[in-house]
Amino acid sequence: MNYIPTTQKDRDKMLKQIGVNSINDLVKEFRPLLKASLNLPKPLSEFEIRQHMQALASKNKILKYFVGAGSYNHYIPSALNHLLMRGEFSTGYTPYQPEISQGTLQAMYEFQSFMCILTGMDVANASLYDGASALAEAALLSASYNGRNRIFVKEGLHPQYLQVLRTYCDAANLEITNEIDDKTSCVIAQNPDFYGNVEDLTQLSDIAHKAGALFVVCVVEPTSLAIIRAPADYGADIVVGEGQSFGIPINFGGPYLGFMAVKDFLLKKIPGRICGMTTDSNGNKGFVLTFQAREQHIRRERATSNITTNQGLMALASTIYLALMGRNGLRTVARLSYGRAHLLQEKLEGLGFKTMNSKPFYNEFLVKTPKPAENILSALFENGMHGGLKIAQDRLLICCTEMNTIADIERFASVVSES
Amino acid sequence: MKTIFEYDEETAGHLSDEDVLIRLPDGLTRNDLPLPNVSEINVIRHYTNLSKKNFGVDLGFYPLGSCTMKYNPKINEDMAKLDGFSRLHPHSNEECTQGALELMWELEQHLKEITGMDAFSLQPAAGAQSELLGATIAKAHFSQRNEKRTKAIIPDSAHGTNPATAAICKLDIVVIPTDPRGNMDMNEFKKALTADIAIVMLTNPNTLGLYEENILEVCDLAHKNGTLMYCDGANMNALLGITRPGEQGFDMIHLNLHKSFSTPHGGGGPGAGVLGVKSFLADYLPIPRVTKQNTKYMLDNDKPKSVGKIHSFYGNFGMLVRAYSYIMSWGSNIRKVSEYAVLNANYLLSLLKDTYDLPYDRSCAHEFVISSKNLGEKSALNIAKRLLDYGFHPPTIYFPLIVSEALMIEPTETESKETLDEFAAALKKIASELKENPQVVMSAPHNTPIGRLDEVAAARKPNLRWGQSLQNNK
Repeated sequence: MNYIPTTQKDRDKMLKQIGVNSINDLVKEFRPLLKASLNLPKPLSEFEIRQHMQALASKNKILKYFVGAGSYNHYIPSALNHLLMRGEFSTGYTPYQPEISQGTLQAMYEFQSFMCILTGMDVANASLYDGASALAEAALLSASYNGRNRIFVKEGLHPQYLQVLRTYCDAANLEITNEIDDKTSCVIAQNPDFYGNVEDLTQLSDIAHKAGALFVVCVVEPTSLAIIRAPADYGADIVVGEGQSFGIPINFGGPYLGFMAVKDFLLKKIPGRICGMTTDSNGNKGFVLTFQAREQHIRRERATSNITTNQGLMALASTIYLALMGRNGLRTVARLSYGRAHLLQEKLEGLGFKTMNSKPFYNEFLVKTPKPAENILSALFENGMHGGLKIAQDRLLICCTEMNTIADIERFASVVSES
Repeated sequence: MKTIFEYDEETAGHLSDEDVLIRLPDGLTRNDLPLPNVSEINVIRHYTNLSKKNFGVDLGFYPLGSCTMKYNPKINEDMAKLDGFSRLHPHSNEECTQGALELMWELEQHLKEITGMDAFSLQPAAGAQSELLGATIAKAHFSQRNEKRTKAIIPDSAHGTNPATAAICKLDIVVIPTDPRGNMDMNEFKKALTADIAIVMLTNPNTLGLYEENILEVCDLAHKNGTLMYCDGANMNALLGITRPGEQGFDMIHLNLHKSFSTPHGGGGPGAGVLGVKSFLADYLPIPRVTKQNTKYMLDNDKPKSVGKIHSFYGNFGMLVRAYSYIMSWGSNIRKVSEYAVLNANYLLSLLKDTYDLPYDRSCAHEFVISSKNLGEKSALNIAKRLLDYGFHPPTIYFPLIVSEALMIEPTETESKETLDEFAAALKKIASELKENPQVVMSAPHNTPIGRLDEVAAARKPNLRWGQSLQNNK
């Protein structure tokens, strides 16, 4: 393929205008110059790319997923992608020029509003990379806010989130500890937790606040917020999480959507872009990036974060998803996800599985398997199903969404009972 | 235009509801969910109308310096949406993910070839996250060697992310000025290069659009000092197939796949900011690493020296698919991309350098910085706003910070001579307007959906979510 429009004739005119004989004259100081051309495959036409990529894609096997653990297979309405693919949205960049970016900016404002409604918080930013790094940013924010350097993590945090948090803590000289005391910067709890448990965290929030720490709630499956209490109601100062469930394909793990929402008193500490409503020179309502003095392009080493490029288009996808689903639709998603998971759990209980959740669960649950988990997963795989995430030899973490039909669930149960 | 929260309609009902008994304790349930219900047609109209108030590469010239706003080929979008990629769950076992892993492995090989590095992590979601990873790897490297190094050298022309990253990683920053030719000042660099310098973060070509003429010596001196050389690869679009950062002497480089490798910028992301390193640093890269045995691809988590993870899963995979598809389309011809990026920038510079001030009179790489200081205070901002009237996205303005009234222009290779001519003509016209009829420039834009916005009011009376202004009035 060739995406360069310049003809040879134009190229020669341009070289003449510049006053050189060849393009090589323009790059001769780029030392050390490569002596040979790069060892890359021969260029492909669009048709050849399509064939090549389809061949690669077909080597992947798509199953019926009864696994979540940070990536949730929800239904995405057709209208969403038609809007998302508009070049006016997808081929612009950070809206530094608000006069020609009102589309992106208003969508950011709507995204922030949606996140505030769902979490109950005061201020949301316009996205972070993913749930795990959003959580890490919450730790950095806390440390910057109260000058403390210890992070307490409640049991039940997604293990991959914990790994990312550790990497960031190592980078920033923060320490993950097992105690809450007067050196604790923040207390982190995932709700629903990695095993699906839904918990009233009011008490933990009180303990955190008594120690002078911030209370951070991490939401990895945000459809839960349609039926479960908003984290602001049980004392969260910062809510972070993963927005993938809202209209973003599972995409082998990315791109997803990190989000962060905070109480008002943390506004000037929040990382990332924020859009605000204001007026133009004629008094018309409009939107701009605001509080940019927090950001690296203004504040450099004193910025609240180094984040620049975020997940803008994914935030737009979520915004459109929430608009399409609405209050009624999102509740339906949550109710079906809850219902299907509980239906499967009941069926499995009848087949000798033991539910290991200590609390009520949302759409994910941990079971002790009556025979090796590996055997159960194999039998399901033979029947086109991914039966869950193996946590131990006899432990499976199983997930349902509205995409797991009742027929699928019956099939799951019958395969398991026959295996 | 109203916001989405001002609708109250029947929704389309994309899913059939069922009777489900929710058995959660009273204290854990939620009754109040004040989301709007909107009909599908009005969702479509709302966001279609919003999109019409936006500007993107698909609509016109977007020479935003440092951001490489080139054309984003549509085939790559289609390829990322293939079911085999977009519907693949990240917890799938290796038997199900061979195509995805092969793509990641192949992409890594191509990026190694392009940069002269020995290994890549595809995990970072953007350049800034790659910088954080690079600084973390540097810390791990020195900690392993029991060396206490606490500082980073960063030139004054650097992107803001470089000092912001160093600060997060608790490295003290030593800023090096720029010399009269637009290079990092060698005398100051030599003075600053003490035993406690962990890392030098350098952009090459730098943010002035100039190739660092002393790059070989800089890397050599740093290495003799035991210091690591980090390349901010935001400007890789100048170098493809011409020179390799690995051979310039860099130990690490991040590439912004949304810049040089053409994945769409999405109104602010998602990007992908892969990190390449030399072999002696490869063991520190995040887990899991994609490996290949015979014809089988695997995810390897057994890397005890790894700094851990930087992404929930394996990175912005969908962006990796697009970038891979783009690289395969150019293949061994990829040098042409940079050749024409450099040609276009130098051509545009040649058209403008008699009208605008050129702070460093050298031929440029893929972008260049001119100054409008000869046209008055705040002229860069006013020129940017006036360009909107002529249908162009303005350049990056007021960056790099070392050039007053800076206009940083990056045309990219995907623009025709005609477009460059029209843009140059507009910039020249605005320069003469500023002399003859300055008011028309200072009050610009005049043809946009909305006028200049009151940013001071936005910060003073923040309205950051729907319903807030209503509350503030109470």
